[in-house]
Amino acid sequence: MKKFAVEKNMLLLALGALAVFSIGGIGSTLIPPLVDKSLVTSTSDKPVHQYTEQEQRGIEIYKAEGCVYCHTQQIRDMVSDQKRYGWRLVDAAVSESWEYTQDKYHFLGTKRTGPDLARVGGKYSNQWHWAHFKDPRNMGEKFRSSRGPYESSSVMPSFKYLTDEEIKDLTAYLQTLGRNKNWRVDSNDRPLNDYED
Amino acid sequence: MKKDSAAKLLIYCSLGYLALGMTLGIVTAMKLIWPAIGDFEIMSFGRIRTVHTNMVMFGWLLQADLGLLFFILPRILHTKLFSEKLGMLMAGLLNVALLGGFIGILTGHMKNVEYGELPRPFDILIVVCWVLFAVNVFGTIAQRKVKYLYVTVWYSMGAVIWTTFVYLTGNFVSQLPGIQGVNQANLIWFYVHNAVGLIFTPLGVAAAYYLIPKSLNTPLYSHRLSLVGFWVISFTYVWTGAHHMINGPISYWLQTVAILFSFSLIIPVVAVVTNFFGTFGAAPRQARMAGAVPKLLLMGTIYYLFTCLQGPFQAIRHVNVIVSKTDWVVGHAHMALLGAFSFYAMAGVYYAIPRIIGKKLYSEKLANVHFWLMTLATLPFFGILWLSGVIQGFLWLNPENTFLETLRIMRPYHGIRMWSGALILASVIVFIYNIMETCAGKGGDLESTTT
Repeated sequence: MKKFAVEKNMLLLALGALAVFSIGGIGSTLIPPLVDKSLVTSTSDKPVHQYTEQEQRGIEIYKAEGCVYCHTQQIRDMVSDQKRYGWRLVDAAVSESWEYTQDKYHFLGTKRTGPDLARVGGKYSNQWHWAHFKDPRNMGEKFRSSRGPYESSSVMPSFKYLTDEEIKDLTAYLQTLGRNKNWRVDSNDRPLNDYED
Repeated sequence: MKKDSAAKLLIYCSLGYLALGMTLGIVTAMKLIWPAIGDFEIMSFGRIRTVHTNMVMFGWLLQADLGLLFFILPRILHTKLFSEKLGMLMAGLLNVALLGGFIGILTGHMKNVEYGELPRPFDILIVVCWVLFAVNVFGTIAQRKVKYLYVTVWYSMGAVIWTTFVYLTGNFVSQLPGIQGVNQANLIWFYVHNAVGLIFTPLGVAAAYYLIPKSLNTPLYSHRLSLVGFWVISFTYVWTGAHHMINGPISYWLQTVAILFSFSLIIPVVAVVTNFFGTFGAAPRQARMAGAVPKLLLMGTIYYLFTCLQGPFQAIRHVNVIVSKTDWVVGHAHMALLGAFSFYAMAGVYYAIPRIIGKKLYSEKLANVHFWLMTLATLPFFGILWLSGVIQGFLWLNPENTFLETLRIMRPYHGIRMWSGALILASVIVFIYNIMETCAGKGGDLESTTT
């Protein structure tokens, strides 16, 4: 059987393997942000939310606790995602790349052991988040009505070990999620934040 | 320094991480059933799950594969390892980097890079190890006593070269200031997918290309197929990272490119698998059934084929709508790394350790017990993850099912997942016990001709 020069020359083989690889390497990493500006800058006329210092501390906690391994942050272009993560009969808006351009760390995620959080901001009050972080299966008297299903089915770890300040920082970050698009507005186009404090 | 000492050290250390990493996998699975188990800071789900993936991938599989290559390369190239001392240094540094990194993750310092969570400075130390590994691989090839380079050598070189760029992109470029949002996500998924595709695939396939013909004592089925497999995989694999964001917030064209290349991966995989099955087919029946080594290699090849047909299938947009983000994904990742490449690596350990220390394997019977238990436990393990993934995917399609209801329906599947996982761990303990007894010399001396 015929053998090729590349099979006896180490340098030739190494260069060949590198060259063939680098076509895809360049094509799939460097080219996309050059072709699609929305990956790196906002293409919307609305400004993208700039995180406050408190929210940035919340982001660091979100990263350190590995929240992303159970919670994605992307409403995919699918009716079922839009319906499930909508609120009060309003469908959640599909996530677009420009919404993430201020995110120093991406948390798009690949696995939903828990629900998606891309549009969670403003849906639950800070007190609800507080109670839920402390013990997801027993949120106390105030949120008694939701106790049953949470108690029997939720598998979220509790974050009792976070300090009160840390829980506040994390909650502040969560409340920003999904706000780059005004997807919940009243008839006068004002954003609905009925569940915030 | 004594021949094969670096290979031996790497393999020994990898076995420790295998047992520990799989135990943490069981803990993770238990937390999905009883979330109150270990519900405190360093045992929190997000951290333990991450240490599990890093430990089995880098502590066990990468380390075992590196050890096996240090054993295999000198034998194919008819020379010694370029430098045992450098190899020992690399093994030591690698374990410092891994241990430090795991502690970093447990104490809340992980990076937001999946499979690359090891924090600074430990990821820098991994790069140093990789440079030392590259020096040893290229040094050994340069001083070879044979003219032509065998397939195993191509894949080893490919792994060294590709991994350099893949690792640097995922762990360092992605963390540069200004690399944010979906652009960062794209770089990280380039790393995540190629960590499997261009690190573990070439290392595992390199080992299998040596172990299959050697353990069967049969020449490789086709040289041409190995050429097709190598060159096509080096071109196609690298494009597929964006298939992690199908229907998500990344350029539609990039998704399509990733899907097309995911499909074209069938070509190199079928070339490699045909080559392996062809070699098995040509081997005499006793050789195919002789002990655990050929059985593990055959089953690993079957899982390799399955996982690589599953990958393109789940990259189809409409299939992805159902299975993406579900347990199916977990099943796919486990089948590649546990099913295919860990089976290969275990075959390698069974093959290499007796030859390195000059002792017979302690018990062929236990090796068979290990093989059958692991095979019969991995089948329901992968099966239940796919089944529950599909069920979960269809449940999610209907917004009437609350998320909590879908979680409740998952409970029995999570139970089967944990129990079959526990059986896998039991089989692995049999494996490690067998190797430990072999090292203690309880199997008796090996005739020197077979090293």
